[in-house]
Formats: sequence, C-alpha cells, structure tokens
Amino acid sequence: MIKEKLLNIDRRILYGLLILVTVIPLRCDQKLNNITDDYSNAFYEAVSNIPEGKTVFIESDWTTSTRGENSGHLEALLRILMAKKTKFAIFSVGDAQAPGVFRGVLLRLMEERKTLGLPAYQPFEDYVDLGYFANAEGTLQAIGGDVRKVFEKKSIRDAEGKQRSAFDSPVLSNVKSVGDVPMYIVVTASNTIDRAIERLSAKTTLACMCTGVIGPSALPYFQSGQLKGVAIGLKGVFDIEYLMANGLNLETKESVKWSKQPDKTAQPITVGKTLDRGNRYFLSFMCAILLLIATVVTGNVMMFVARAQSKPQGDEA
Amino acid sequence: MPWTPQQLNVIDAVKITGGVACTIGLYSILYKETKLFRFFEHVFLGLAAGYMVVAMYKESLYPQWIQRMTGQMDDAGNVTQPAMFLYVVLLPIGLLGYTVFSRKHNWMSRIPIGIILGLWAGQQLLNYWDTASPGIYSSMQPIIPTTWSSFVEPDKFGLTPDQIKALNQQIYPSQAINNLIFVIAILSSLSYFIYSFDTKNRAMSTFNRIGRWTLMIGFGAIFGSTVMARFALVIDRMYYIWVEWIQALQKAFGQ
Repeated sequence: MIKEKLLNIDRRILYGLLILVTVIPLRCDQKLNNITDDYSNAFYEAVSNIPEGKTVFIESDWTTSTRGENSGHLEALLRILMAKKTKFAIFSVGDAQAPGVFRGVLLRLMEERKTLGLPAYQPFEDYVDLGYFANAEGTLQAIGGDVRKVFEKKSIRDAEGKQRSAFDSPVLSNVKSVGDVPMYIVVTASNTIDRAIERLSAKTTLACMCTGVIGPSALPYFQSGQLKGVAIGLKGVFDIEYLMANGLNLETKESVKWSKQPDKTAQPITVGKTLDRGNRYFLSFMCAILLLIATVVTGNVMMFVARAQSKPQGDEA
Repeated sequence: MPWTPQQLNVIDAVKITGGVACTIGLYSILYKETKLFRFFEHVFLGLAAGYMVVAMYKESLYPQWIQRMTGQMDDAGNVTQPAMFLYVVLLPIGLLGYTVFSRKHNWMSRIPIGIILGLWAGQQLLNYWDTASPGIYSSMQPIIPTTWSSFVEPDKFGLTPDQIKALNQQIYPSQAINNLIFVIAILSSLSYFIYSFDTKNRAMSTFNRIGRWTLMIGFGAIFGSTVMARFALVIDRMYYIWVEWIQALQKAFGQ
C-alpha cells in the first residue's frame, strides 16, 4: 500500500514540497560555512587585486530569466569594485533587454549605499553605462581592434546633465586600447563568453560569471588560462560573497585557505554588504537538492521493489 | 507636484504586487493548465515581444544607426557629431531580408545573409586558433611523476615563494594519476568521433566505449548544472514573493 503510494506520488505534492523547502530557509538569516571552488578563488583574487586607478570593462549579457544567478553575480562584482573605488564601464552585446536589467541592479546598489551612508557612485565620474551593442561577434571584434572607435560615438550625460562623448569621462579617458583595461569581466547567461574568448583573450585578461548551464563550457577556458577566474551559478555567487566576507589566504581564522595557490592573497571587503543573495539562497538550494535526491532514491528503490515482486516465480531459476 | 516618499512606496508595492500576480499565474501550470495560466502566458509573451521591439530601437537602432546617420548636437545647438548619410545604404540591404516572403524575389534575401556569413567566416578563421590553441596546449599534461617523496602534493602554507615555485614544478604520483585519467578521457572522447575508418578492432572499440562513458558523464554533469540553474530560478521567484513583496507591503502600508 505504502509502496503503491510512494510510486505514484502526485506531482502537485512534490511541487508543494519544493515550495516549502525553498521558502522556509529563505526566512532564516543563517550565516553558512563554505568550501569555495578553485575557480571562484581565482576570480576573487584577480578582481581584488586590480591595480588602483584602472578601469574595468563589464559585459553584462543576462536578463530577468536568469536573475536567480546572474543578479547575485553582478551585485557581488559591483560591490567589490565600489568598495575598492574601481571605475568601470558597463555594456551589453548579448541582448537588447540586458541594459534595462543591469540598470535595475545599479539603482538597487545606489539605494543600498545611500541607506548604509556610503558615498554615491556617480555616473560619468565613477562609471559609465554604454548600453547595448547589437551583433556580439562584430562588436567584440571591433573592441579588440580599436575600442575608441566603438565607444567614441556613444554620448552619455555628465553630472550636470550635458551630453558628452563617453571618452570625455574620467572612466574612459585613459583607455586607448582594450589592452589598457586590466580586466574584462563577462556576466552572462549565454555563449557570449565564447565570443569574448575568441576575440579578446589574446588582448586582455578575461574573467567570467556565468549560469550553471554555461559553467561546464566555460571551465575548459579556466583550465587553459584563457579565463583568469570563473564564478558559476548560485555556488559561484555564494563563493564570491563568502570570500568578500572572509578574504583569501590571510592569517585570520575565518580566511579561506586556497591550498593550491597559498601565495595568492586577497583582503576581505570591509565597506558595505558582503553576504547577501548567495548566502540567503544557498540554504534553500541545499534543501531543494536534498528533496531531489530523496525523491529520486525513493522512486528508484520502490521501482526495483515493485519489479522484484512482480517477477514470475519461474524466472528465479 | 513631485511624489512623496510614502506615495513612491505605494507605487513600488503595486508594481511588485503585479509581478507577484504574474509569477503565481505562470506557476499555476504546476497545478494544471487553467485560463489563469493562459492569460498570464499571453501577457508575458506580449510584454516580452513589445519590450524587445522598444529595447532594440532605443538601445541599438536609434543610437547606432539613426543618430549616426542624422548627426548630433549638444544642448547649445553646436554640432558634436556630423551626419554620416552613407549609413542609409544599410536600409535597402537590411530590407532585402524581407524578400524571403516573396516566392519570386526570395533569392534576394540571400544577399544580407551572405554578407553576414562572409564577415563571420572571415573573422572566424583568425579567431579559431586563438580560442582552441591554449586549450590544446593545456591538454598536454605530464603523466609520469617527477618525484616519489610524497604521494600527494604537500601543504604549501608557510613556505617562501621560491619554495612554492620549486614544489609547483614537481609532478606528484597523485597528480600523474589525475593527468592520466584526463588524457585518457580526452583521447577516448575524440576517438568516439572517428568515422573515417572501421573501428571493429577490439582494443579500439573498448577505447571508444570508454569515450562514450566519458561523454555520458560529461553530459550528466552538464544536466546537473542545468538543474542547479532551474532551482536558482525557483528560489529567486520565491524570494520575490515571500521576502521582497512582503517588505514592499510593509514599507507602503506600515508594519
């Protein structure tokens, strides 16, 4: 009887259970422990040690359909850059809807800084929003060839609201070629990371924050050294937030120890938020994975039991 | 008259309530397909299509084509960017793409496709080597240990950079085994795609089978990552409903 019931659980009960196991942990404000991945350590170390006064390029190619992963990626990345007062240029080559989404994240972080009493990060002075560029292949090829030609006709508003060329901004004034950019970071939910590797990996240092779906195809590039670091999926968000909170290879007890590269260090972030979306979502994620494993195991065990019981007696000989 | 902070909070709460209604409406498919789901499905598709058209115009067509064609002036009326009328040539080329709907003229739709493919192929020839060569190089891993002083790599904490460098140059037996598995996985996976000659030879077919298993394990890992991504999406939606929405309501209508 129980076996019959377990073999034929109504899918609506399973969905109900999934909602329960994801919602309850979301209400807990529990700080979790973590063993960070090598590629996340490499990412944090690289971003944390960007030389002062340099401008970082962020290619944000995701939309609301992957908000669960990429939003946490971009928030963590921008918090690191803002804490270190690193200037950045942000744009998209993947989707016309992407600028609207990354502008939402920027607004949210500006609001957060205001609430925490931190100085505002000013558009034009501290960062530039360059919008969307159609045709990823062509745009990235052009960025690799002559970055000034690609962005110079992009007019943006300065602090006084006047229309100016993007290269009048202190963010881009020192950028003559893509080689002047110490790091080009792709936050993506699609294969635009492949396009960036093809066209830019020989010209600048690349790093990537991608969804779990894209992760397996991005890892070989980390192995070969074409990507300096990778943050993959929800685990990547949690890893980066955990490293932001605890630092890497430091003398402190909380610091993450990276045994493969003990000579690489990175300080924790001491200004603003560190643990946020990644830490919040990860407990729910673990509970959802446990539910998945439990249902798969139950289903399989019950299937084998039912098969064994329905086997005709003669077959055993 | 500008909005007061309280009015802005109410507007925010109404916006998020709309998002929550859409989320619940779309997830109602998990119970069964209803008219409610159908309604929100159409709302979603319509909004996505409409938003895409506006975003494409505002983010791409207007700043990168129309503005360049017509030129730009600053607020004082000075020309900041002269007009480049030659950009108009792109219009008829692009419009040729629509001849695909005419049986008589559809051959012309191949012109813009040909231009795009030609440009892409030209770039790709150069880019392929830049993409693949570091991967090929990094696949050549040493499979013979250079030291037997320890089976696994020793702990490097507390050592000087020179000592770490010296240790990094050694291949320990555990690393050699790891590299051997890696090399077998690569070669067997590649051998699975050899179709040019018969592989009935027993050793070769065993090697192919290892390749097939390796590929299956790889696909399994990709599937696992995909499941992780889907869970992240559900968790984010639950966060939106159970945390962000409730916070917005509290802000708008008091505790």
